[in-house]
Amino acid sequence: MQNMQVELGPLKLKNPVLAASGTFGFGEEFSSFFDLHELGALVVNGITLKPKQGNPPPRVVETPAGMLNAIGLQNPGLDVFLADELPRLKNCRAAIIVNIAGETEDDYVILARELSTTEGICAIELNLSCPNVKKGGILFGTAAHTIDKLVTKVRKASNLPLIVKLSPNVTDIAELARAAENGGADILSLINTLRGMVIDTAGRRPFLGNITGGLSGPAVRPVAVRAVYEVYRAVSIPIIGMGGIVNVQDALQFFMAGAQAVAVGTASFVDPFAIPRLIAGLHSYLESQNIVGINEIVGAAHSF
Amino acid sequence: MMFFKGQVKKITELTFNQYCLLLENLQAAKKAVPGQFLHIRIREGLAPFLRRPFSIAGTSPREGTVSVIFRIVGEGTAMLSHLQPGENLDCLGPLGSGFETIDKAACSVLIAGGIGAAPLLFLARKLTDEKKKVFLFYGASTASELIPLKKYLPSEVEIHWATEDGSAGYEGLVTGLFVKALKKGLKPEEIFACGPRPMLQALALKNDQWNFPLQLSLEERMACGIGACQGCALKTKSGDEIGYRMVCRDGPVFHSYEVVW
Repeated sequence: MQNMQVELGPLKLKNPVLAASGTFGFGEEFSSFFDLHELGALVVNGITLKPKQGNPPPRVVETPAGMLNAIGLQNPGLDVFLADELPRLKNCRAAIIVNIAGETEDDYVILARELSTTEGICAIELNLSCPNVKKGGILFGTAAHTIDKLVTKVRKASNLPLIVKLSPNVTDIAELARAAENGGADILSLINTLRGMVIDTAGRRPFLGNITGGLSGPAVRPVAVRAVYEVYRAVSIPIIGMGGIVNVQDALQFFMAGAQAVAVGTASFVDPFAIPRLIAGLHSYLESQNIVGINEIVGAAHSF
Repeated sequence: MMFFKGQVKKITELTFNQYCLLLENLQAAKKAVPGQFLHIRIREGLAPFLRRPFSIAGTSPREGTVSVIFRIVGEGTAMLSHLQPGENLDCLGPLGSGFETIDKAACSVLIAGGIGAAPLLFLARKLTDEKKKVFLFYGASTASELIPLKKYLPSEVEIHWATEDGSAGYEGLVTGLFVKALKKGLKPEEIFACGPRPMLQALALKNDQWNFPLQLSLEERMACGIGACQGCALKTKSGDEIGYRMVCRDGPVFHSYEVVW
């Protein structure tokens, strides 16, 4: 009998497939396609203390095997999230992870504290890697000492499992992963999008309203697999791997690079059933290979 | 909200670079209302990667078909034009909100720019079914780009043509043609428009004085089509509040007074 359950440090999930933050809204849109209870976990859109309008359009553009987005963390803010979105989400019985983003260290601390006293949230994901906002986001995520300091503060403010989501737009992601581990992170999420740009040649101007955006989709997968591989060697906390995962083979690369769970993002835009298909596909894979649990293959590519 | 496999029945070239795609799916044909769109995965694989949104140009609930009209603008639409009858297309839809028609209006005006005619063809049928007098003002840059719309419209619809270069009909923009008709005494009680953004903006600004009930079908770059990615943002106002709403979920049809240009 195959066991799809995974234990990411203090976080137990029924299966190792998560919906990535920023690609699944608050679940509502997808709940008409499948039962959100099937998800390993749902990482909701990045929440900020105050409501955020987001960036001017165009916000998305297709690129070879992927897309750029520059949404700019549009969200209703913590209060509305707690009052309106969370109760509805709880009814879906999905494991809920809340992604939080701040403009200051205090923002992160307040958000983490508030969420820790709220029922029905199974972990917090610190967004230290959004490339599309002017304040905060990635500004906290590119230097080891700022990551260490921020994670340490948030750690003290919350007893929920703490996930830190890292950016690939850095010189050495392993160093930053160690800083997050040192600050008290329980789990690492990697990668966020890669900064990119498209020029509208007819208009002779940047295509996106925000000038630059974050690249996602299969185009970034090799970068993400490499990041997971490097970080796995550098830290001892579990990793959630993501970046361009569409099918079982893609997910297996992440597990073998060292991820204990994977998140699916952009693929859900193309196929709303991408996640349930992947969960079913992984289960069949384990069965066909006679593998009892995912852990048997986690990090396999390190000992060839 | 639904998803379906639509079997390609026919692809017709309407005029250079503009096509009509006829898809078979009974449920979609029964459910769709004018103004809604289909989000179509042109093929599996990575190119094109994302789905493409297309306004529904008409349905036949009896035959169980839905049609969309599109223009080749890139690789995705070029591939779509090469599909063969019998192939199945992965579709989401019908998505979005439809046009709201006014029960007591007796004179309806449709203003279409280029491929923006698509959702208005579908709407024209609804309006004539409601026993309204319907005028369609339809513009393109040149005569060869005008789709011969007559055969897709109920015969009662009165069509007025405009081309920017004067090669057919009125010489100038379709908004100019419409203004001319107003001066001659046209009294619209509801207006529906779809076309390039500058055309819609010009209409909306003029309408600040006219104050006709005006609805616009808008377009924006879109990823998921269901409101999750928050990509297709449109700046709108509601009272004093200004913010972004999503073309796919909150539109694509908006009241003119809601849009911030």
